[in-house]
Amino acid sequence: MSVPALELQGLSKRYGEFTALHTVDLAIRPGEIFALLGPNGAGKTTMIGSVCGLVKKSSGSIRVFGKDLDQDPVGPRYDIGLVPQEINFDPFFTVAESLRIQLGFYGRPTDEARIDEVLTALNLHAKKDAYTRALSGGMKRRLLIAKALVHKPRLVFLDEPTAGVDVELRRDLWTYVRKLASEGTTIVLTTHYLEEAEELADRVGIINEGRLLMVEDKATLLRRFGERRVIITFEQPQPGLSEAGKRFAARLSEDGRTLTYVERDGCAPSGELLRALYAEGQLISDVETRRSRMEDVLIEILRGRPQQAA
Amino acid sequence: MNVLGMKTLLAKEVRRFMRVPGQTVLSPLISTTLYFIVFGVSMSNRVQTVEGLPYLHFIVPGLVFLGIANNAFLNSSSSLFITKIQGTVVDLLVAPLGPGELMAGFIGGAMVRGLVVGLLTWAVATFFTGFSLEHAGVAAYFLILSSYVFSVLGMLAAVWAEKFEQINFFPTFVMLPLTFLGGVFYSVRELPAPWNTVSLFNPMVYMVEGLRYGMLGRSLYSPLGAGSILFAVAVGATALTYAVLRSGYKMKA
Repeated sequence: MSVPALELQGLSKRYGEFTALHTVDLAIRPGEIFALLGPNGAGKTTMIGSVCGLVKKSSGSIRVFGKDLDQDPVGPRYDIGLVPQEINFDPFFTVAESLRIQLGFYGRPTDEARIDEVLTALNLHAKKDAYTRALSGGMKRRLLIAKALVHKPRLVFLDEPTAGVDVELRRDLWTYVRKLASEGTTIVLTTHYLEEAEELADRVGIINEGRLLMVEDKATLLRRFGERRVIITFEQPQPGLSEAGKRFAARLSEDGRTLTYVERDGCAPSGELLRALYAEGQLISDVETRRSRMEDVLIEILRGRPQQAA
Repeated sequence: MNVLGMKTLLAKEVRRFMRVPGQTVLSPLISTTLYFIVFGVSMSNRVQTVEGLPYLHFIVPGLVFLGIANNAFLNSSSSLFITKIQGTVVDLLVAPLGPGELMAGFIGGAMVRGLVVGLLTWAVATFFTGFSLEHAGVAAYFLILSSYVFSVLGMLAAVWAEKFEQINFFPTFVMLPLTFLGGVFYSVRELPAPWNTVSLFNPMVYMVEGLRYGMLGRSLYSPLGAGSILFAVAVGATALTYAVLRSGYKMKA
C-alpha cells in the first residue's frame, strides 16, 4: 500500500476547556480528492490549520507523505499548498510579483511559464501586472488559489475556495482541480457548496463538533444514506392505494394521480413496484425519479443516522 | 535551510519599504535633519564644546544612531504586524520558512532601511560639519549591530502586539525616552546625580558612545566595553526572538 498523502493519528486541539478536535484519525490517499464537510465551527479549518502550521496541535501526530511534522516541522511544507478561507493580499505587490514571491518562499526560482500557466487556468492572466489592491473580491480569491498552486504542491488544501465567487470561477476551479488530481495532486477540500463536494470528491469525511463522524467513498455514501424518490403518474386518478402500493408502503397523492415510493438502500427496488402495478393493470403515463443530493445526506448524518447505520 | 526562501523574504521586505520611499526614508530623514538643525545649529551658539568636541559635531553620531534605531525598529515591527493584521502571515507560516529564515528576512530588510536612513542622515550632517570617520571598523560595528538589535526588537514587538496601540508602545514609551536620555544631545557625564549613574543602565548610552568613538574618536567609555554590551544585547534579543517564533507564540492559534 502506498504511503498516505496525509495521515492524522489521534489529532486533538484544545483551547482551554473547549476541544476543537477530538482525537481525529484520518488517512488521505495520494491523488484523491477528499471533501471535508461539516457545519460552521465543526473543526474543518482547525484540522487543516494543524497540518499547515497555522494551529498548534494539543496531541496526536501528523504525517505528510510519511514525514512526521513533530520530527521535521518545515520539510514537509514544501509539498503543501493552502487556499485559506479568509481573503488576504499584500497591497504593495502586483499579481505576478506575489506569485514570484510565493515561488521563492517555497525554494523555487522564478518560473514565468508556470506563473502564466496558473494565471491562465484561473482566468487571471489579464491582471498579471495589476496591483493586488486593485483586484475585485473574486479576483483576489483567484489570486489566493494561484498562490497556493504556483509551486506545484503535492498536497493542496482548499478551505472554502469558492466562497462568495461567481459561477464562472467555480466552474474554472473545478476543471482545474480535476486536472490537478489527474496529474497526481492530492486535494483536500472543505466547502459549504455541497454540490462542489458531490461534483469533485472521491471520498467524503463528515465532521461535527470536532469529531470525524465518518469517512466514506462518495458513491457509497450517497447510496447508503441517500434515497431515491420514484414518482409514478397514473393515466387515471386512483380511488385509493392499490394492494401493490400498500405492499411497498408507497404514498398516493390526495388527487389520486401520483404514487410516491421512497427507495433506500436495503429496500425493494422500484422496478418491482412497477412490475406489481403493471400486473394489477394500472395504466402509467409517467415515471420520474429524484435522487438525494449530498446536502440531504449530510443533514441525515448530522441528525444522527451514522450511529444507527454503523 | 531554505536559502532562496530567506532571500525572497529579504528582497520582499526591502522592496516593500522602497515602494513608499517618501514615508519610509525621506520622512525620517527630514525629522532627523530637523533635530540636527534645531538642536545643533541653535545650541552650538551657546554650547561651544562637549567632551572636547564642537557641539554640532558631538550630536552627529547620536542622530545617525537615532535614524538607524527608529527606522530599523519601525520597519520590522510594522511589516510583521501588518502581515498579521492583513492575514498574509498565513503565507509565511504555511511556507517552509523556519524561525531562522523568518528572522533573516525581516531583520535583514529592517537593517537595510535603518542603515539607509542613518547613512543619509550622516551625509546630510557632513554638509554642516564636514566628514569625520576616525575608526571605520568600530563605526561599522556599531552601525550594523545597532540596526540589527533594533530590527530584532521590532520583530519581537510585532509578534507580541495585537493592536496598533500596542505596536506604538515600544517606540513611544521605551525607545524615545531611552534614546533622548541616552546621550544623543548631551554628555551623560554632565548629568547631575543620580541621573548620571542611572544612565549607566541605559544600553542606548553605550551604542551612542560606541558610534561616537568610531566617527569622532572620542567616547566616555571604552569601545570594547560598549561593544561587548551591544553584543550581549544582540545575542539575548536573538535568542529570545528565535524561541518565541519557534513556540508559535501569538503567531499560531
